[in-house]
Amino acid sequence: MNTDKILEALSNALGDGILQTRTLRPEKVCVQVKVGAHRDAVKVLLNQDGNAGISAITGVDLGKTIELMYHIRTCNTIITISVNLTKENAKIESIADLIPGANFHEREVSDLFGVTFEGHPNPGRLILPEDWPENVFPLRKDFVALNFQSKMENSEALKDNGRHSIDERLVNIVFGPQHPALIEPEKFTLKVDGEVVKEVKPRIGYVHRGIEKAAENRTYLQDIYLVERICGICNACHAACFCQTVEAIMGVDVPPRARYLRTIILELNRIHSHMLLLGHVGFEIGYETLFHYMWRDRERVLDITEELTGNRIVASFITIGGVRRDLKEDVISRINAELETLKGRMNFYRQLFEGDSTLKMRTKNVGILSRQDALRLCVVGPVARGSGVDMDVRRDEPYAAYNEVPFKVITYDEGDSWARLMVRLDEIVESINIIQYALEHLPSGPYRVRVPRIVPAGEAIGRVEAPRGELFYYVKSNGTASPERVKVRTPTFANILAFVKIAEGGNIADVPASFVSLDPCFSCTDR
Amino acid sequence: MSLDLAFLLRVLIFPGLTFILFLTMFCDWVERKIEARMQNRMGPTYTGPAGVLQPFADFIKLLTKEDIVPFNVRDFVFRLAPILSFSIFAFAFVFLPIDGVSVVSNSNFEGDLVLVLTLVSIANFFLFLSGWSSINPYSATGAARVLTQFLGYDIPLFILALAPAFLAKSLSISKIAASQFIPFAFVVPWVFVLFIITLQAELEKDPFDIPHAETEIVGGYETEYTGRRLAFLKLSKDVQIVLGAAIAVELFLGGPHGPVFYGPSAFWCTLWFVLKLLVVIVLTEYLTCVFARLRIDQALVINWKLILPLSLLSLVAAVGVGLWLYPLR
Repeated sequence: MNTDKILEALSNALGDGILQTRTLRPEKVCVQVKVGAHRDAVKVLLNQDGNAGISAITGVDLGKTIELMYHIRTCNTIITISVNLTKENAKIESIADLIPGANFHEREVSDLFGVTFEGHPNPGRLILPEDWPENVFPLRKDFVALNFQSKMENSEALKDNGRHSIDERLVNIVFGPQHPALIEPEKFTLKVDGEVVKEVKPRIGYVHRGIEKAAENRTYLQDIYLVERICGICNACHAACFCQTVEAIMGVDVPPRARYLRTIILELNRIHSHMLLLGHVGFEIGYETLFHYMWRDRERVLDITEELTGNRIVASFITIGGVRRDLKEDVISRINAELETLKGRMNFYRQLFEGDSTLKMRTKNVGILSRQDALRLCVVGPVARGSGVDMDVRRDEPYAAYNEVPFKVITYDEGDSWARLMVRLDEIVESINIIQYALEHLPSGPYRVRVPRIVPAGEAIGRVEAPRGELFYYVKSNGTASPERVKVRTPTFANILAFVKIAEGGNIADVPASFVSLDPCFSCTDR
Repeated sequence: MSLDLAFLLRVLIFPGLTFILFLTMFCDWVERKIEARMQNRMGPTYTGPAGVLQPFADFIKLLTKEDIVPFNVRDFVFRLAPILSFSIFAFAFVFLPIDGVSVVSNSNFEGDLVLVLTLVSIANFFLFLSGWSSINPYSATGAARVLTQFLGYDIPLFILALAPAFLAKSLSISKIAASQFIPFAFVVPWVFVLFIITLQAELEKDPFDIPHAETEIVGGYETEYTGRRLAFLKLSKDVQIVLGAAIAVELFLGGPHGPVFYGPSAFWCTLWFVLKLLVVIVLTEYLTCVFARLRIDQALVINWKLILPLSLLSLVAAVGVGLWLYPLR
């Protein structure tokens, strides 16, 4: 198989650099290498596949040591390179020069675990406040909750805001943390020369809630509701990803009906999220009619979600072992009727996006992310597909019922804002088709299996194609009712770097429109 | 000098200041309601019948809010700009015949069209100053955009306004209005269309609402204003919209003139004027609803490469039509 070939290549390149190989469920390989050999290992994996990239870097506190896991996405699967660092000497060479997409992942681990990445291009706080005490690392197990109140809110960042920069020509325009174009707080400092953006400095962490830490103190059942609240829009995706990861550790088979029902709610999530975004783009480029039209049509999706789950936004539908509610027969026809109307509306919007001149003037050839950059920065989801990178977890590694449902993966090659929007528009139609297929072929039988509350020791990786792209979960269980470690890598976290890339050199008026075309979700990013 | 009661009434009540204010509020409501209905939502609903009192409520609410002059602004200009821009816009109405004759009986003179258009420019310049006086980068960018955009679009607006003046052989607004047995909008429709588009840019409405693109530069030049100063800035924007529409009515739709039936002619003239005004406002709102906002560079390219040459051409064509209508003797 693919994996064997990759392992062979790894052992050829590293020799005795490989310490041991273990399996992360379901069927994922984790190769532990010596400190220092990780760069070579990552290089080998990246060379295996033209579309390879990094999904996440997970840190796990093992007591005396910290285990770093580089989850590399290659050949439609995830290969993990793991390195053990002692806590006293938590230093490792950065891989950000090999794959620039690792930049934020390394900074996050450095913030939360106190690992120093040597040779990182721009180290510094990413998640924690600037005046967070030194040598206090929240995700280490010996962390004691401290009564920390930030006195000088982001002092370093505030200094940064001086309107008169060294170069007199450049004006700093601060985009956030409070800004009408951003629904959620996150800060981007733009150095502007006239109307042209020269430099972008992102700073995230304004809504960091420590959900990964909180998940360690709760039971698995409570964690489902916790992870659902990471993001209001793609809540079902988080629940599905967490549940299927835990199910992989437990070795539970989800009944077919539940798999289909999960597919339906996941696709409803996608439609809901995409419509929200497309409307929001209308708002950003001053096309308020589009915004109001789109959001009114979005109500239909919420109605359907309500019929299916009982809730309009946060579905609380997926649970470990299946789903929490069955779908009644009489609801199916109502959902179908609503979906048909929605499909008609989508035709209308498609005409609009293809035909409206002012809309095209603001989105075509704006915020171009080339295929090469998309791969280098490891972007995911519609952003990657808008740049011609053909990736979709639903097809590459099917979960729920996606191996039985036919669907197309939409890609556009332009790489501009317009292409990213069109990907989403077409995906809505595709999602409607998936739901209709799933409703038609809904298997009978139970919709959940009861599972024990205690999860056997083990670790697993889960991936779900959330509306914004690949959502990544790593769960480690120690045989109790609470997980040892839950790692969440949300799609926006992978896509933020792309914003820096597309904003620089562009027009300031294009910043909101090109930014929103990435569909950023900051409550996801910060967790 | 004895106090001329009729004069005061005309200046302060009808068709002067009070009438203009009420008309502005009413047009504001019409705009918001129409835009809302076009966008598939309700618009103002609760204050007064169908929400007609909402603009008043908003205005009064702003008046009661705390008035803050931020540290470090250019104080004098910051305080003066909203008042001046509002008063100049309001003053320009004196030259428009609303109830058949102009507000002050002898205020009309040959060339008041030029004066009104100049007043609009000056008032716009005060809007620019209001942003320039605050130290906020959003205001500064917004102000720079006002100036850039309006410098560009003022030229075609002047050129286009000359077409009806030529057809009426007069530079007096009331004479132009009175000479339209057939409204010039039907005689030279291409000029009218261009005029409305240029007006959109002049009034900062979509697709040209670049100076206060809230997703880019927050409130634009209004960002640092609060309380009654903001109220007056907003009011002067609204008066500007009514004034712009009113100029279009006078120049292209025959002003207040229309069939007069039983009763005082002032009533009928005012009615025709307001109805025509609403037609123009519906037109501009329609344009607002169907377009996305352009970028400032795109707006300028459209201005210099498209609107300006077109307006020159259409002026030439209008002159041609004029020569055909009234052959040179």
